[in-house]
Amino acid sequence: MKRLLGLMLVCSCMLSSCIEIIDDLTLNLDGSGTFKYTVNLSSSKVKVNSILALDSFNGKKVPKIDVIETKFSQFSELLKKEKGIISVQTEFNKVDFIVKIAVGFSSVQELQNGVTAVIQQLDPTINITQEAGDWIQWDGKTLQRIIPKLVEDRIKSDTQADNEFLKTGSYTCISRLPHSIQTTSNELCRLNPAKTAAMLRVNALELKLNPALLKHTLTTAP
Amino acid sequence: MILLRNVFFTLIFVNSWFVFGQSAEQLIPGEAVTVFSISNTDLLQKVSIDEWITYDFMEEIHQELFDKSTENKTVKEAGLDFDQRLSLFYGKKPQFEVTGFTFGIKDQTALFRVFDDFETIPSKYPGVKIYQSLFNNLILDKNHGLLIRVEPLEAFLNQQTDSLWYSRGNLSPFYALDEDQLMEEEALISEDEHKNLLEKNYYELRDSLAFEYQKKFYNEVLNRLFTKKQGLYSQDSTFRELLTHPSAGVFFMDNSRNIDRAKNLWYLKTVLPTLYLDVQELYEDNIITGDLTLKNSTIQFDLKAHYSKALGSIYQEMNDASFDKNIAPFIQSNQPAYFTYTINLRSAYEKAYDVLVPILSKAKDPEISFNLLLLKLGNALVNKDALFDTYKGSLLMTFNGIQKVKTRKITFFYDEQTFEYGEREAEAEEDMPIFTFGFSTKRKDIPEMILEHFSQITSKFENKGDYWVYEKAIFDAAPLFFINAKGLFIITNDRDLAENHRDGYGQQALSKRAVKSLKKSGTMAGFANIQEVAQRFPSDFLNPEQQPLIDFLRNKTGALSLKSGVTTDESTSVSVVYTFTDSERSSKHFLDLLNTLYLLTK
Repeated sequence: MKRLLGLMLVCSCMLSSCIEIIDDLTLNLDGSGTFKYTVNLSSSKVKVNSILALDSFNGKKVPKIDVIETKFSQFSELLKKEKGIISVQTEFNKVDFIVKIAVGFSSVQELQNGVTAVIQQLDPTINITQEAGDWIQWDGKTLQRIIPKLVEDRIKSDTQADNEFLKTGSYTCISRLPHSIQTTSNELCRLNPAKTAAMLRVNALELKLNPALLKHTLTTAP
Repeated sequence: MILLRNVFFTLIFVNSWFVFGQSAEQLIPGEAVTVFSISNTDLLQKVSIDEWITYDFMEEIHQELFDKSTENKTVKEAGLDFDQRLSLFYGKKPQFEVTGFTFGIKDQTALFRVFDDFETIPSKYPGVKIYQSLFNNLILDKNHGLLIRVEPLEAFLNQQTDSLWYSRGNLSPFYALDEDQLMEEEALISEDEHKNLLEKNYYELRDSLAFEYQKKFYNEVLNRLFTKKQGLYSQDSTFRELLTHPSAGVFFMDNSRNIDRAKNLWYLKTVLPTLYLDVQELYEDNIITGDLTLKNSTIQFDLKAHYSKALGSIYQEMNDASFDKNIAPFIQSNQPAYFTYTINLRSAYEKAYDVLVPILSKAKDPEISFNLLLLKLGNALVNKDALFDTYKGSLLMTFNGIQKVKTRKITFFYDEQTFEYGEREAEAEEDMPIFTFGFSTKRKDIPEMILEHFSQITSKFENKGDYWVYEKAIFDAAPLFFINAKGLFIITNDRDLAENHRDGYGQQALSKRAVKSLKKSGTMAGFANIQEVAQRFPSDFLNPEQQPLIDFLRNKTGALSLKSGVTTDESTSVSVVYTFTDSERSSKHFLDLLNTLYLLTK
């Protein structure tokens, strides 16, 4: 009955649902910083709940919400043990389907190495190359950012029907730097009045069709 | 799911088998509980084999029957006799299950050109030839064929393996796996070197038992069929009679031997054998039969359930009810799908009480005796008038398409100075299928009392005058409405119904003719507009190769309707009719529907 209800509810929730992702990076003078990642599915609650009520969806097994939560906390616990990871804070809102993670790190490279290592520990079948595992580059003066490869692959693997789901969604990339920002390579990127933070917001579907939309370089004052 | 897929295998051959003289169905083992048998003289004349082998479901049968070496061959070239029936069967015993199908053979040489991975093995049954491949057993008796698989049940195998494994003094096989993970590699290598290679591990032991039991049960089935001549055809007169029906296909299920039902009676069977026999009597002759008929613009499936007098007397009382006229105004004339159920719950309860109490009274078991006392006390003390007036037994369910419903979402807002962000709640809209469920009641006060109580517990429950709303009831997002009026208690997520049609749909409701048909339909009645339902079906659930199917269905004009027939103390009947208005042949429609069902369940 639960599955039937799920099936019936999912049947037309596609058109009005959407996803909101916030990718927020703060860098300090010594290269340490905080990386926050937020996925908000609250405007697709009915759809998400419907899918969770099913055994499989789109030909793939649907995990139970508790299994997802356990995996998430496993990810957090494993990440805490990685070299250069100072702190990991997570929040899993099962009512509104908002997932947040905030990671304190010693260096951008250690953050990326840690995340890649943990993903591979949790799923050894995933093979992430060094290039694919790096989505941030920071040399103290210049910050280069692209969409994380895993997120890009995940979005690209979605079906045609998911395009409707992405159409009203957004991906927001925020960077806060220790020096004032002089230039940005992407015209869609906005700077705050103090020029210490940059925000780039793109439509999720457009990002799927063109992942380079999120690519940008911020150059700080010497 | 296995059963359903097996149905396809049978129906795949739906087009063409017909009975002449001695029939292939005589090879169906007595262990078979469910049989689908196809014999359609019309279909083959109207749909060529070339046409039906183009259907998706044919791929499955190719994979099932033929190996790579016969990749380019089809069933058409398999030497089958299309003038005989094809019957698919399934049976389940406590220790094993048996599946397969029987068919007629016209050309054995052609048959083995297709079934070329089968090897001859010696047969101890006169006139019977036996062939085996890796998974299947092919048995030929004159011009009749039987393709059969007999497999021990997993639960039985596990039980046998555990028993043997632990009796040898072994520890849990899973314990050993955990221990291995903790051991150093050198210790593991050393353990392997000292291992007795002749001693089987748990899974090797299980495989050996599976092999031996498979052989044992397979031989038992064949002995009963060919030595003792105890096939389903010779043992069951209902099945024999069913095969004489001039319909395109027939369905048979002996529910009295259905192991899944018997499993529920396991406690009675082992602990209280006398009581089990009494209860078993209730299910005696509980056989379900069905006929599939293809007409010019309809496809009809008639099901009939036969039962014992005792069980029949309960069903007869239950079905002795007339359609509640209060229900009809809540079904719209253009409703994509609806279902009504009309029973007399009180009469059924009283008859069941009369039938079951004498049976239970015979039991000497203290637990049963105590439960019987509770039943008798309940019967004496509970206000049956109030209970059965609150829920009389008649209900309706409708599907009313998709509507926008208001939900709540969390949005992020940004500080333009710092790009810091915070959360705030906002209204959202999501599409949701609209369902209504309602039942007849004479006691408006009782549901009202329950709703009043809930409203005191949570502020989400609100009385809106003559209806109630439960905010955020569905997935903490969409509201549910409760309408307690006009002799019905209705639960729906249809705001329009709650706010504007609490007295029914008036002119938009079902026509008098449709209501008359509902009244005549007996216990169950239902309707579904195929095109409408297909429009609403979530394409996401389909594989890319299944997508064209849903597009195809969206262009179909057919409708499915369900009606129950007369119930006596011996049987009851239900018929499902698919009606179409286009000029396509019924055989084509049938194959299309079959293919649809196949692809959706693939």
